[in-house]
Amino acid sequence: MGNRKTSPLSTLFLVLIFTILYLPIFFLVFYSFNSGGTMYDFEGFTLDWYKELFADTRLLIIVLNTLLIALLSALISTVIGVMGAIAIYSFKNRKTKNTLLSLNNVLIVSPDVIIGASFLILFTMAGIKLGMFSVLLSHIAFCVPIVVLMVLPKLLEMSPTLIDAAHDLGASRWDVMRKVVLPYITPGIFAGFFMALTYSLDDFAVTFFVTGNGFTTLSVEIYSLARRGIALNINALSTLLFLFTIVLVIVYYFITVRNKPTGMGVRR
Amino acid sequence: MKKLVQFTVAVVLASAVLWYAITELNSAQGYSGGNTLTIYNWGDYINMDVVEQFEEETGVKVIYETFDSNEAMKTKIEQGGTTYDIAIPSEYMIDKMIQEDLLIPLDHAKLPNLGNIDERFMDLPFDPKNKYSVPYFWGTVGIVYNPSMLDGKEITSWNDLWDEDLKNEILLIDGAREVMGMALNSLGYSLNDTDKAHLLEAKRKLDTLTPNIKAIVGDENRMLIENEEAAIGLVWSGVAAELMWENEDLEYVVPVEGSNLWFDNMVIPKTAKNVEAAHQFINFMLEAEVAAENTDYVSYSTPNKAAMPLLDEELTGDERFYPPPELTEKLEVYENLGKRNLAYYNELFLEFKMHGK
Repeated sequence: MGNRKTSPLSTLFLVLIFTILYLPIFFLVFYSFNSGGTMYDFEGFTLDWYKELFADTRLLIIVLNTLLIALLSALISTVIGVMGAIAIYSFKNRKTKNTLLSLNNVLIVSPDVIIGASFLILFTMAGIKLGMFSVLLSHIAFCVPIVVLMVLPKLLEMSPTLIDAAHDLGASRWDVMRKVVLPYITPGIFAGFFMALTYSLDDFAVTFFVTGNGFTTLSVEIYSLARRGIALNINALSTLLFLFTIVLVIVYYFITVRNKPTGMGVRR
Repeated sequence: MKKLVQFTVAVVLASAVLWYAITELNSAQGYSGGNTLTIYNWGDYINMDVVEQFEEETGVKVIYETFDSNEAMKTKIEQGGTTYDIAIPSEYMIDKMIQEDLLIPLDHAKLPNLGNIDERFMDLPFDPKNKYSVPYFWGTVGIVYNPSMLDGKEITSWNDLWDEDLKNEILLIDGAREVMGMALNSLGYSLNDTDKAHLLEAKRKLDTLTPNIKAIVGDENRMLIENEEAAIGLVWSGVAAELMWENEDLEYVVPVEGSNLWFDNMVIPKTAKNVEAAHQFINFMLEAEVAAENTDYVSYSTPNKAAMPLLDEELTGDERFYPPPELTEKLEVYENLGKRNLAYYNELFLEFKMHGK
């Protein structure tokens, strides 16, 4: 696979696809520097929209809220998801295993709108006030299945003899977990964390239902702003977020590269 | 393992920093104090300077939240779990909310500025005696068009839209009441008509309009017309005013057969925590200068009579946006048709949307 030459046609296809995918983003970024105030007339370069953005405390709070929710929900759902994946893995009965995995997958494919609406009903029945807590809970809920899905393949890939060997050598259960299993699945854990992070960052449908009491996230805010045409400070904001995600991807890249299995499957 | 622990610590630290920043910003803005007022409004539908002024005058901190449809707003209020002190729904939704007991009656003694509102906008069928609501903005549904793209052709009535020359030029709003109302009006019926035969007739008439329709869109219509992608749009008057601000060539017309007159009104939902401040806010918004300042920004028509002299005469004298009483009397406010009739409207509208070219 690796050394087969790619035909010019497939290269062209690849370039075309990437252009189509990235063009709208660059279009958006380009106009965030427009002094004209609209998206179809470029008048001149300005940083005014960025200045306006940073002067708007309300928007800034919303951005920080969004980031905080993303970090916390990714972290917590990673912890829960890893435990869940290990639990599913540990079931010896194939049938139970498959059932649990399917139940997990159903949550991933079910429409966000339905998840959001049911959370709204649940929270109001349970008497939980809508706000940061409700958003955090629902984000954790829809991130957990994703983490499970990212971690489980790593666990299945791991040779069972590895664990047996550790036991034979006198390792306790905790030792096995800490020194064998967790290091082996670390790349999966990171992948799960970053997936959860991006899911939480850009989720609109679920969040829309569970925000309230002065707590909003960016996607919900932009959606209601869009009713009256988007001002260019939203372009500026999107540009910054785009850069932020690129940084995330780079960080993720370096973490996974440094964690590449060495063949033995055991790292310190 | 060490890496995992390091990473977790880093994430927790980052979260703590964010948390600290948020609370600092919030308290700098005064949101964490007790005396707050939560307003639930359409996106970008208030002049924030006015809100700041209110905060300075009263010491009440305002939390501003936005919704994008009457239905979404109602769901949130209905479900509880929120503490909105003020909401700004449209008239038909207010009717529904009153019936479902979601609103608190207003204390008129606390609203001395209520007298500033033009009498024609008070005591309307959806809220007799304004027991629950105070008009915020009003407007019409009409046609915005670009004469330069139509070789100077003039449009004055709904029926002009059926002209064969207008092939692929019309943008409709994706709203059953608006579009069905347009068809009913063009046939000379009321836009609150519930006679099934009339409704079917209206739907059939709409089907014949399909060749002229470019798209049935939401708020994107603004951009499409601005960019001259289409020459004609069915729009709310406020949208038209904004469009004409950007492009002076555009024209707006309220069709002669009649059309819809709509209101957005301030109400106090059952969920309100600070009813006192809510009254203060409503009264403040009714002040002539404040209403004028707000109107300047939002560009919809104000029902505030006292604010009119403070506004640009070019605007208030514009009969397209401030139609004289003779015309407004001809216009109709949407009535709450009841669930079953509304479902029939929606069904016909959906059928029309699926009707191919």
